[in-house]
Amino acid sequence: MYSVGCFPLVNRGLPRGGALAYSPRDGMNPQTDITKDAALALLRVMLLARRIEERLIRLYHQGRIFGGVYCGFGQEAIGTATTAVASADDLFAPCIRDMTVHLGRGTPPRDIFRQFLGRANGPTRGRDGNIHYGELHRGVFAFISHLGAMLPVVTGGVMARRRLGRPAVGFAYIGDGGTSTGDFHEAVNFAAVFEVPVIFVVENNQFAYSTPNAHQFRCKDLVDRAVGYGIQGVKADGNDVLELRATVAALVEEIREKPRAVLLVCETMRMRGHGEHDDASYVPRELLAAWEQRCPIRVLREKLVAATLASEAELDALDTAVQAEINEAFQQALGDPAPSPSTLMEGVYAVG
Amino acid sequence: MPSAETTFLEAIRQALQRLLRERSDVVMFGQDIGAFGGAFKVTAGLQKEFGADRVFDTPISESAILGAALGMATMGLRPVVEMQFSDFAMTAVHQLLNNAGTLHYRTGVAAPLVVRAPCGGGFAGGPFHSEELEAFFCHMPGLKVVYPAFPADARALLLAATLDPNPVVFLENKYLYRHVKEWLPAEWGPTTLGTARVCRPGSDAVVLTYGAMVHEALRAAELVHAEDGGEVMVLDLRSLKPLDTDSILAAVAATNRVLIVHEGWHTGGFGAEIAALVAERAFHLLDAPIWRLTAPDCPVPFAQELEKAYRPNAAKIRDALLELLEH
Repeated sequence: MYSVGCFPLVNRGLPRGGALAYSPRDGMNPQTDITKDAALALLRVMLLARRIEERLIRLYHQGRIFGGVYCGFGQEAIGTATTAVASADDLFAPCIRDMTVHLGRGTPPRDIFRQFLGRANGPTRGRDGNIHYGELHRGVFAFISHLGAMLPVVTGGVMARRRLGRPAVGFAYIGDGGTSTGDFHEAVNFAAVFEVPVIFVVENNQFAYSTPNAHQFRCKDLVDRAVGYGIQGVKADGNDVLELRATVAALVEEIREKPRAVLLVCETMRMRGHGEHDDASYVPRELLAAWEQRCPIRVLREKLVAATLASEAELDALDTAVQAEINEAFQQALGDPAPSPSTLMEGVYAVG
Repeated sequence: MPSAETTFLEAIRQALQRLLRERSDVVMFGQDIGAFGGAFKVTAGLQKEFGADRVFDTPISESAILGAALGMATMGLRPVVEMQFSDFAMTAVHQLLNNAGTLHYRTGVAAPLVVRAPCGGGFAGGPFHSEELEAFFCHMPGLKVVYPAFPADARALLLAATLDPNPVVFLENKYLYRHVKEWLPAEWGPTTLGTARVCRPGSDAVVLTYGAMVHEALRAAELVHAEDGGEVMVLDLRSLKPLDTDSILAAVAATNRVLIVHEGWHTGGFGAEIAALVAERAFHLLDAPIWRLTAPDCPVPFAQELEKAYRPNAAKIRDALLELLEH
């Protein structure tokens, strides 16, 4: 069982293979093609998600969070990389394991705790729980449980924004299991037909609840499906935030200018159960052990140290600061009010 | 001032035309609604007049149509989409029930969108082109459901539905499209959803109904009057959600006998909701049990003989009223 804290944030000394030195002259590191600040910002988003989710798991097992807790352990790079290259006008439809989309778009950790705790001042004001939130003023649609249902919504949102003169790009996230839904097909085809600039980000984390890829689809690779929709298909390492960031940056630049839909398949691994109620005993231990070496936080830390962009001590200090921030946010959210039963019927309809 | 009468279909087209002309935020899309003008020609000429970026065809993807409309509505547009037949909306019911209907409650974001849905039978459409699904739509929190019976109401209520900040299902009974016409006043009304209208006054019984059945009920009321002098009120609900409960209760108070008529199925039909309302709020005013005349609980049949037996009509309503008046 993959458990909390099993992603030790230490460099285990992977080979550095001819690392180039950090060049302070232009602020860019030739090996990583990123400034130190930008790289640390990516790490910070991933650490925030990891540390928030660790806290949520503890709260769940303490019986202090009702409903469920669904985590993105191992998939933090995907939301981090995609939000890092986006613009203010862009629209996002995160899926189950995309806390880094919310964090990347600026949702404060305190609001995430409020959401999971069902607080009156959280993003859904206690109307919905856990991963079902989104703040449209940050360009993020709130996820509903019906997989694929958000894909046409973000597509329509991008169509509308562009009609209103804002050059938006859409990011629609879905899992390997979600690609089997009718909505996935309808939305990708719809966006392809109307040349809507949406990146359909498939996070192939190998399992849909308990169902492995082999029982989910018959094609050799999910990226092959792009051919059937007449759109570009791109395959990426979902655990390498720097590589993914570069891939997505190039795609976004292209489709913002020449609008079209893209299928981006990110290979990754779900490192915990579907939810915290699920011990994932159906996942081979050796598979988890192999992917643990590819933890996106570890991968980034190792790259930064290897490129001499940052020292181990610096990165540890960042993690410590993140943990302190999370602790404070959590304590604040604990003290926030629960919704009053008298507000039950408020907001069913918009008034105006 | 035009002297000719206007069909139900043309009245809806006029509303769509006015919306496109006066509101730059209105867009329309659906299956075959562009150059072809829609399966029933409701949108005929609109793409030519307003361009293919305002009125356009989509793939056969009800969920993508409804989902995209929801996304657009949250971004400042007012999409008016067409389900070619209301029956097909059920392939994307999760977009209405779970996505559009819950959005404002969950997130505080308004979604002003209209789903036009041609419905109803009486023309050999069979099980999949004749369904009456208003009870399904009314059951979903966060949606409004409008169901006009007259051209003037359809024209005005479609305008009001599009200006409403919520998702609205706008039911267009296909039988009415070309069978019902009237002279349209210069002034458009009603301007808000949720008001019923007394189509025919009466003091002996009231028929609570909507859609095509309003016209059948009016014919039945005339038959009853001619045969035994009874005065039957007909109340056209026009909007099912919100429901004009005040007008329903006032009609019950004025007549003391209630017949509810709809062409949708019996079990769990919208008539059951009206009956429950009357029983809860006006039981003391009743001189007879509440009656319901609805379609039976079977799929909509194809053969004319079967569909005639299936669908309520003026003769069946007359029979029910005569029995009710004797009670």
